[in-house]
Amino acid sequence: MADATLQGKLIEFKGGSLAVMTAHLRDTEAMRLADALHMMLGGMPDFFAGEAAVLDFSQLATFPDRVDWTAIVSLLRRYQVQPIAVRNLPEHLHEGARRANLAILGNEGMSAERPVAAPPPARVEAAAAAPAPEPVPALSAPTLIVERPVRSGQQVYSKGGDLILLAGMSPGSEVIADGCIHCYGPLRGRALAGARGDLTARIFSTNFGPELVSIAGVYRTFERGLPPAIAGHWAQVRLVSSDSQNTLEITPLGSD
Amino acid sequence: MARVIVVTSGKGGVGKTTTSASFSTGLALRGFKTAVIDFDVGLRNLDLIMGCERRVVYDLVNVINGEANLNQALIKDKHCENLFVLPASQTRDKDALSEEGVEKVLKELEHMGFDYIVCDSPAGIERGAVMALTFADEAIVVSNPEVSSVRDSDRILGILQSKSRRAVEGREAVKEHLLITRYAPKRVEEGEMLSYKDVHELLRVPLLGVIPESDDVLQASNQGSPAIHLKDSDVATAYQDVVARFLDEDRPLRFVNYEKPGLLKRIFGGK
Ligand SMILES: Nc1ncnc2c1ncn2[C@@H]1O[C@H](COP(=O)(O)OP(=O)(O)OP(=O)(O)O)[C@@H](O)[C@H]1O
Ligand SMILES: [Mg+2]
Repeated sequence: MADATLQGKLIEFKGGSLAVMTAHLRDTEAMRLADALHMMLGGMPDFFAGEAAVLDFSQLATFPDRVDWTAIVSLLRRYQVQPIAVRNLPEHLHEGARRANLAILGNEGMSAERPVAAPPPARVEAAAAAPAPEPVPALSAPTLIVERPVRSGQQVYSKGGDLILLAGMSPGSEVIADGCIHCYGPLRGRALAGARGDLTARIFSTNFGPELVSIAGVYRTFERGLPPAIAGHWAQVRLVSSDSQNTLEITPLGSD
Repeated sequence: MARVIVVTSGKGGVGKTTTSASFSTGLALRGFKTAVIDFDVGLRNLDLIMGCERRVVYDLVNVINGEANLNQALIKDKHCENLFVLPASQTRDKDALSEEGVEKVLKELEHMGFDYIVCDSPAGIERGAVMALTFADEAIVVSNPEVSSVRDSDRILGILQSKSRRAVEGREAVKEHLLITRYAPKRVEEGEMLSYKDVHELLRVPLLGVIPESDDVLQASNQGSPAIHLKDSDVATAYQDVVARFLDEDRPLRFVNYEKPGLLKRIFGGK
């Protein structure tokens, strides 16, 4: 039975810190956020698997008079993100957030975070806080190796590290990595590297032919087909910056 | 140990039931005690293809609900000693198939000494199809040589490797086989159909066989006798090859190349 000292003490409150993911919202308009989330995650409803999140507004340029919290909360829940609190929100919006059952947190703890890449408009940046204060980037990021083909309708996410696909990916599938994506075999479907803003992430493939590629949020689709020099061949995708503009560069790779 | 084999496709009308009937018959003809189960609740037609529709009294759902035991519900095939058909019910709602219920039936079949249990899956990627593949050890993915069918096969392969018991429990993956049916070499030659090589390359699954498009299939189904029994039929031969390859025998592919009709044929006609 329970420890005698605990008898009669059905609830106990203790201080402590909890590692939760932070979602930086750079827009408060639910429709635009929905669009951005869809862009980022495709039809990946269980991407976050019920993780709790603090909504952070420090990167929002201007604040509206009111925010449709119900819409934002329901949108995030669609992706299995459970918003629990808001942070860096001006006073006049507190009441609404509180009514949506979101706790109002102080504005501390912002400085420790790594600045992220300039995102495309209305992009939601989800940065998970590490359980222990860990230097970023980690010394050795975990690599996810997938031995079987990634099939249409399937999604794979390599959190914090590289993703290696040993049997390629099919049209209609989606792979995401916080690091690089290496694909041995056909790269079809959607491939998103540097998902948390790593500008140096790259995508490599021995048989290039994706529906979409993205690095740190800079993406490109191929509705009108691929240049013959790379279609079906070895290729790599990376970001090059010129005039503070990041653009995707797709080039043939190695001997074919 | 009984091996559970699901015949599945995603897309409808590609030849799953035709394949389930001939494949299970082929295994039984090789001496294996085989059961073939129709999972297409509401749309039963395996019993028609097997020619046992007039002997259906009980079905899979009756067994799951405890209204009949397996011995009462299994219908002995009219041609093969070792083959038994477990029909689907025609009227009941699709939710009648519970995972526990299906598992219980499969376990019981195993206890009855069955070597192979072939599950004829309904079309689609929803509940019914998932139920049919949940307990599979192996899967025959049936695909026609056209893009939409290949795409659906790809999806069902993904589901197989994420929702099957083997996947969920992290055991050895379900063994995949690709079967291309309704293959017309002439239309491939003319660029109207994907070639079997294209399909194989797109799906990256070991090829179990190619079944030619043939009117013989319709004839067999009208007779209520699986196509594998047909005499002098390419379809029957192709299905026999499929069974042989499944049992690890070497059989080169046949009926995949288009042969232009020779002069005599052109003059005298004929098949
Ligand atoms: N090799 C073939 N040549 C010609 N016709 C065929 C062949 N295989 C199947 N068919 C025909 O295609 C139709 C569909 O076949 P079948 O019922 O086996 O498909 P299915 O995948 O089980 O369909 P469903 O998804 O509705 O269950 C039938 O009319 C059948 O006669
Ligand atoms: Mg059928």
